Amino acid sequence: MFKPEQMSRLLIAASRDQMGPVVAELYRRKLFHVEEFVEAGSEGYEGFKIGTPLSGANEKSTDLIKVRAIENTVSVHADDIASVKTFKQAEIAAKIERELPALEREVEELTARRSQLDTRLKECEQKIAEITPFVAVPVDLDLYHGYKGFTALAGYVSREVILSVPNELYFSKGKEKNFLVVIVPNDQKSEVERALAEAAFQSVAIPVESGSPTTRIEFYRSQATTLGSEIAEINEKLTGIRTKHAEFLVACEEFLKAEVEQTEAPLRFATTKQMFVAEGWVPSENVDEVSNALTQVTGGKIYVTTLPIDLEHDAVPVEYNNPDFSKPTQMLIDLYSRPKYTELDPTLLVAIVFPIFFGLILGDVGYGLILLAMALGLRKFVTGEEGRQLLAVLRNASIMSIIFGLLFSEFLGFELPWNPIIFSRHLPIGTTEAGGAGSAIPALLIMSIWIGILHISLGRVIGMYDHAKQDHGEHRTKAVMANFGWLAVMWGILVAIWSNVTMPYMPDLTKLPIVAVGFNLGTYIGGALIIFGVLCIARDSVLEVIELPTIISHVLSYARLVAVGLSSVAIAMVINYIAIGMFISPALKELSLVGIVMIIVGVVIFIAGHTLNLALGLLGGGLHSIRLHYVEFFTKFYKGGGRKYIPFGMKRRFTED
Amino acid sequence: MVDVNMTLEMVQASQMGMKALGAGLAVGLTGIGTGVAEMAIGSAAVGATAENKEIFGLALLFTVIPETIVIFGLVVGLLLLFV
Repeated sequence: MFKPEQMSRLLIAASRDQMGPVVAELYRRKLFHVEEFVEAGSEGYEGFKIGTPLSGANEKSTDLIKVRAIENTVSVHADDIASVKTFKQAEIAAKIERELPALEREVEELTARRSQLDTRLKECEQKIAEITPFVAVPVDLDLYHGYKGFTALAGYVSREVILSVPNELYFSKGKEKNFLVVIVPNDQKSEVERALAEAAFQSVAIPVESGSPTTRIEFYRSQATTLGSEIAEINEKLTGIRTKHAEFLVACEEFLKAEVEQTEAPLRFATTKQMFVAEGWVPSENVDEVSNALTQVTGGKIYVTTLPIDLEHDAVPVEYNNPDFSKPTQMLIDLYSRPKYTELDPTLLVAIVFPIFFGLILGDVGYGLILLAMALGLRKFVTGEEGRQLLAVLRNASIMSIIFGLLFSEFLGFELPWNPIIFSRHLPIGTTEAGGAGSAIPALLIMSIWIGILHISLGRVIGMYDHAKQDHGEHRTKAVMANFGWLAVMWGILVAIWSNVTMPYMPDLTKLPIVAVGFNLGTYIGGALIIFGVLCIARDSVLEVIELPTIISHVLSYARLVAVGLSSVAIAMVINYIAIGMFISPALKELSLVGIVMIIVGVVIFIAGHTLNLALGLLGGGLHSIRLHYVEFFTKFYKGGGRKYIPFGMKRRFTED
Repeated sequence: MVDVNMTLEMVQASQMGMKALGAGLAVGLTGIGTGVAEMAIGSAAVGATAENKEIFGLALLFTVIPETIVIFGLVVGLLLLFV
C-alpha cells in the first residue's frame, strides 16, 4: 500500500541454443525487467560480450519499416482502431509473407503516381498565375516573341508612362497595380528601362505560349481539373486500402514489433560463445512462476536463481502497489517523480487528500455535477491510459466537490434550501444579501490553517520514517532529528502564539500562569521548542536554518484552500446577480419585446459566465490542490527519482499468443 | 481629512471605502508581483518542457511557486473586508 511492489533480482543462465525459447517465454510472461548488460567494468562478467540478435532480425525490421510506411501513407494509427478481431500469430506471419509485398507495391505505385500528378497540377497552377496579368492586354501571347530587332517588356508600374522612343505600348489601370506591356527597339532598350524604372517598374516574365491569354488559361484550368479528379481517384483508392486493410496493418505492426523486440533482446544480455546470462527484476511473488516456466520451455537446461539486493547501490525498478481506488492517482505522482524503491509511496495519501482539497476549493453541487458528467462522459472518447487515469481523478474530485457543495449549501452560486452545515461561504453579494447566513471567513481561514498544520506535520513524520529507513549510522540520527526539529519549531511557534493571542477554533493558552518578565508558561515552552528545533536542524545542516521562514509561509499557503474557493464563489454570485438580478427578473415583471431580449441576454450571460467560472474553478481547484501536495507536502519527505518498472513484453491488442 | 461637519455615517462610509481600497491594492499589487515573478519562470519552464517533456511536473511546480504571494494578498483582502 505505502510500499512499492517487492522486487527480486533474477539471474538466468543457459546455453546459447536455448536463447530463442527463453526470450519468447519471458516476452510472453511480461514480468521480467531486463537489466542491460554493459561490457565495460561489469564485475564478475569478465570475458562476456554483448549478444548478437537472433536470426531473422534484419528481415523483420525491414518488414516493420515497410508496414509503418504504408500505415503512414494511408494514415492508420493503432490508437484510433478499436480491436474487434484478433489475429493468430501463425495466420499473421503467413499473411505477411503472402500479402504484404503486393500491398506495398500497390501503395507505392499509387503514391508515386499521386506525387507525379501533384507536380503537374502545380505546374498548371503556375502557368495560370503567369498568364493571368496578360488577360488585360488584347494581344495573343505568340506576338510577344520572335523579333530580332525588338524586345517585349512587361510588368507593373506605379503610374502611366510616356516614352520618348518609338514604341508599342499597352497600359491597363488596375485597382492596386497598373500593368504595362511595351515593345521597343533593341538599341533603345536601356533608355526605356531607365524611364520605366522611374515609374517603379516591376518586371514580369512573359510566358512562352501561343494563342489568346484567355483560351490558354481555360486550357490549363481544364487540365488542372482533370488532374485534380485523378488525384481524388487515387486518394479514394488509398482510403479503400485503409478501410480494407487497417486491421491487418495494425496487427502486422504489433506482430512485427514484438518479433523485432524479441530478436533484439540478446543485445541486452551477456554472452560467451557457448552460453548467455540475463539479469533482471521480477516482482517477488512471480519469481516461482517465471522460473518454473523457463525450466519447462528449456526442458530443465537452464539455471535460474535470485540474487541478493543491495538497496543502497542497486537501482531497483519501481512498480506501484496500490489499492484500485488510488491507482489513477499514480499519474499525479508520476508527473512529479516516481518514488524510490526504499521510499514511502504517497499515492494513497494523495488519492485521499487531493479530492478533499479540490472539494474544499470548488465546493458546489452544480459545478460538481457538471464535472462528474464530464468525467464519465469523456471516458468513451479518451483511449490513452493517462487520459483515463486523469478522468478517474477528476471523477473522484467532482464527487468530493458535490459533497462539499451540500455541506456549504451551494448550487451554481445559489443557496440550497438549507443553511450551510459547516462554515458558510455565502458572500453578501447581490441576491443572497437578504436572508443569507452570511460568511464565516475568519473561521474558514483558521480551518485552512489547521489543515496546513496537520498536513505539514504528517509530511514531517513521514520524513522521519523515510530517513530512519533509508539512512545509516550517524547521519540517520541527525536526519531524523532534523525532521523532528522542523516539527518542534512549527509547534513551538504555534504554542507561543496561542499563549499570547486568543483565536477562535484554536487552543487558548493565555490563561497559563505568568513565569517571568510578563510572559506566561506557554510562551517559554514554545520558545524552548523553537530553540531545540533550530539546534536539531543546524546539527544536520547549518544552511537549512535560512529556510526557517518557510514554516510560516508554507502553513499560510494553505489559506489558498479558502481564498481560491471564495473567489470562485464570488464570481458565481456576481454572474447570478448580473444575469438574474439585472436582466431576467426585471424583464419578467413586465413582459414585452424588450423584456424577451433582456431574458435572452441574461440567459447567455448566465451560461457563458458559469462556463468560464467552471473552467477557472477546475484549473484553480486542480492546480492549487496538486501544488499544495507538490510544494508544501512533498518537500517535507518525498525525493522521488525511482526507476520505472518496464517489463520485457507487450500488451497485445490485435494479435494472439 | 477630518471635517467637523461629517456625520457618523459619513465617517463609517469613508472608512469602508478605505478598507475596500486597501483590499483592492493588496490583491492588485500582489497580483502584479506574482505576475512579474512568474514571467521569467514560466518562459523558462515552457522552454525546458519543450526540450524534455518529462520535467513538466517539476516545471509546473516552479512556475506556481510565486502564486503564494497573490494568495497572501487575497487573504489580506478578505481579512480587511470581512473580519
